[in-house]
Amino acid sequence: MTPSLARGLPLVVLALVAFGLPLAVTSATYLHILILLFLYAYLTTSWNLVGGFAGVLPLGHAAFVGIGAYTSTILSLQYGVSPWIGMFVGGLLSSLVGVIIGLPTFKMRGAYFALATIAFAEGIRVMFENIDYLGPLQINGPRGLQIPPLKTGLVHFMFADKEPYYYIILVMLAAVLALTWAISRSKLGYYLVAGGEEPEAAQSLGINVAHAKLAAMAMSSFLTALAGTFWAQFTLYIHPKSVMSLDISFEIAFIALIGGRGSIAGPVLGALLLRPVSDFSRIYFGDTLPGLHLIIFGVVLILVMLYQPRGLQEPLTRLYRRAMGRLIGDRGAPG
Amino acid sequence: MLFIIEDTINGILMGSIYGLAALGLTVIFGVLKVINFAHGSLLMVGMYVAYWAVLLTGMHPYLSLVVVVPVMFVFGYLLQDILIKPIFKSEKEVREPITVIIVTTGVWYILDNLALLIFGPQYRNIQDNPLRGKMLEIGDMMVSVPKLWGFFTALATALVIYLFLRKTRMGRAVRATSLDRDAASLQGINQYRIYNIAFGMGTAVAGVAGVTLVPFYNVFPTVGVLFDIKCFIIVVLGGLGSIGGALLGGMIIGVIESVGPQFMTATWTEAIVYALFLAFLFLKPSGLFGVKYDW
Repeated sequence: MTPSLARGLPLVVLALVAFGLPLAVTSATYLHILILLFLYAYLTTSWNLVGGFAGVLPLGHAAFVGIGAYTSTILSLQYGVSPWIGMFVGGLLSSLVGVIIGLPTFKMRGAYFALATIAFAEGIRVMFENIDYLGPLQINGPRGLQIPPLKTGLVHFMFADKEPYYYIILVMLAAVLALTWAISRSKLGYYLVAGGEEPEAAQSLGINVAHAKLAAMAMSSFLTALAGTFWAQFTLYIHPKSVMSLDISFEIAFIALIGGRGSIAGPVLGALLLRPVSDFSRIYFGDTLPGLHLIIFGVVLILVMLYQPRGLQEPLTRLYRRAMGRLIGDRGAPG
Repeated sequence: MLFIIEDTINGILMGSIYGLAALGLTVIFGVLKVINFAHGSLLMVGMYVAYWAVLLTGMHPYLSLVVVVPVMFVFGYLLQDILIKPIFKSEKEVREPITVIIVTTGVWYILDNLALLIFGPQYRNIQDNPLRGKMLEIGDMMVSVPKLWGFFTALATALVIYLFLRKTRMGRAVRATSLDRDAASLQGINQYRIYNIAFGMGTAVAGVAGVTLVPFYNVFPTVGVLFDIKCFIIVVLGGLGSIGGALLGGMIIGVIESVGPQFMTATWTEAIVYALFLAFLFLKPSGLFGVKYDW
């Protein structure tokens, strides 16, 4: 096996397994769990563009999920616009909000930035909870919006089975991973990392750190909003406490931090490890040990931060490289 | 007009309890330069300790301070020593390690859900305590007695902390560390021990706030979340690290929350608080009394 084949092959195998999974997984519950897993992997990868590469800690991404979910849902319920179109309108709107949030907050450091993003997200949630009508748009306050499952089919982004949702979120995840990979190798990616690690040094080299961060924020909030539309179409019911809760913002950040922020594999790895913990503990211990998965999350998070601050992707990548190196016969395949 | 004065007074009283809770956060920030995201959860722990102490012994709610303060101090001391100190040691050159936020968020999740596991989700309160539901009538106005107790406790606690920092040798070491960790270390101050003490103090203050709440407030596992974000807002409003600022910031929030509903739907006041917070973050991040901050 040549080294390049050895590096490409596992990806191909992974993709094939992912595409074939619904054939093996016939239980609707397990498919549901897989869909949520990919949804969170997608959300976390989108978050990672800001939280990982730009080296800040945004804790309010649920606001973008909510903006995406509400925009496409309002457009389709009140104006009959296909959620596919609403999805991108929501993305643009969310991107705009992201830039508005980013403009003042990116000047802040550390804790201030984290607090400001929480305040923005919670402020937006409170507004949605208090507004029934925004001009002609029906928001319905805390009661939220229900999407009647009348018309199914690809055009309406609504299906009776779970398989189509699975493939949609899988494609979305693949696309966002490809985008992240491209960005990490682009000038923007280097600007972001440099600006996140050594803002002064980067600036003195002529990098416009603020612009790079804003660009990352615009993309991240755009992509996050797309997942909001998916969420709305998948669950068919949204309200501020569901799509805009602080818990979502925190879970996204947890997954990224445990998996390894700033790496491409980290968020997916984090979702792979954590989502099943949360789903299965809810299924099996939901009545007897409520909140067990959150305790596990907290413990894992602290252990990772203390002993493996770059996330679990680092030791796992090292293991993987060593195994691959042995497989193709030379020690430590580069890259 | 009278009801506005009445609401203002009750807002100031409730706000002083918010301020008391935020006081713990500001003490920790003042020394360690980190925001403790688990602060609300520590307050929750303090409330449960007070609740059980009162329920099991039938003592006066405020007598439980004798139990709560030392327990919470030790708890905070150990928390900092075991979980946060290693981060400071490994990220020496970083002034505000962001990792601390993450680790304390982990602590938040663990504590809240442990409380849920152990005590269940139900709201608990102490029905027969001498303060519950008591009202003081001043002319035509009604003032809540348990909140009045909270108000004076907040003032007393602030005074004690102030005197400790100003008048004692240990307090001077704490202030020195907060001004310049390296210079303080060079003077023979063990900075990590000071961090432990500051964190223990902040946690104990959260416990005191818990005690003032127990006579009239429900105790439940996520009660801390209600105070968490409020405390963040208050300390930024008052100026991170400022003792007087924390109390005043708390009172401002309290007044907005209690007078606001006279003019708008009660839930909108929350949005106003967030807007005020963001305005301060952008326009005057050092807050009302904070020192100008070099970021």
